[in-house]
Amino acid sequence: MEVIISNEDQKTKVILNGRIDTTNAEQFQKDIQPLMEGDSPQIEIECSGMEYTSSQGLRMFLMLQKSVNARKGQMAMLNMRPQVKEVFDITGFSNIIKIQ
Amino acid sequence: MEKRFDPIKNKTGDIIEYLMESPDIPENESLKFKIRLCIEEAVENIVSYAYENGQGYVVVGTAVNNGRLVLSFRDEGVPFNPLEKDDPDITVSAEERQIGGLGIFICKQMMDKITYTFEHGCNNLQMELSI
Repeated sequence: MEVIISNEDQKTKVILNGRIDTTNAEQFQKDIQPLMEGDSPQIEIECSGMEYTSSQGLRMFLMLQKSVNARKGQMAMLNMRPQVKEVFDITGFSNIIKIQ
Repeated sequence: MEKRFDPIKNKTGDIIEYLMESPDIPENESLKFKIRLCIEEAVENIVSYAYENGQGYVVVGTAVNNGRLVLSFRDEGVPFNPLEKDDPDITVSAEERQIGGLGIFICKQMMDKITYTFEHGCNNLQMELSI
């Protein structure tokens, strides 16, 4: 699992690569910690390299979305692979997280 | 095929890899994705909740029966029927969304059939998927 975070203008760009699962969920939580700070964040998450997520990963995305909402920010996940998207769809996460 | 893992603490990754390498697992990548996900959710539940400190065993197995892959999990931990758990409400906002109960819900959505029995002091969970 790889998380690359960069800041451009007012936007925060994140690139996710690999798998988020039981074995690395804790590390993933640490890796996305910088996204949990700052006012009115504008976060774009590039997901084309994200191969897999279990419910552990979903919990992190929910936590992040709640944090972004609380700080009156915006977040979108881009170019999600169909199988990963299906996990977001069947769990209703597509309704609470913007997927483009 | 079948294998016993004892103790199961920190063994989630090993158990997943063991099952995914079974010849019963189909080659189709889309099916494999679903199977891996459901195995992970089932194993993670057992490793996290069946025993105090993960000090206990699980017997996991695969079989093919009438064109269906059957994944089985047996432990002697706290009796727990995951099918009795209420499904999470997936229509609510992020703020109201509860964090628990997702794993088994994913399994219910993705698998064709899930059965749970408690026999001889053991939790038996079986998940079936047409392959």
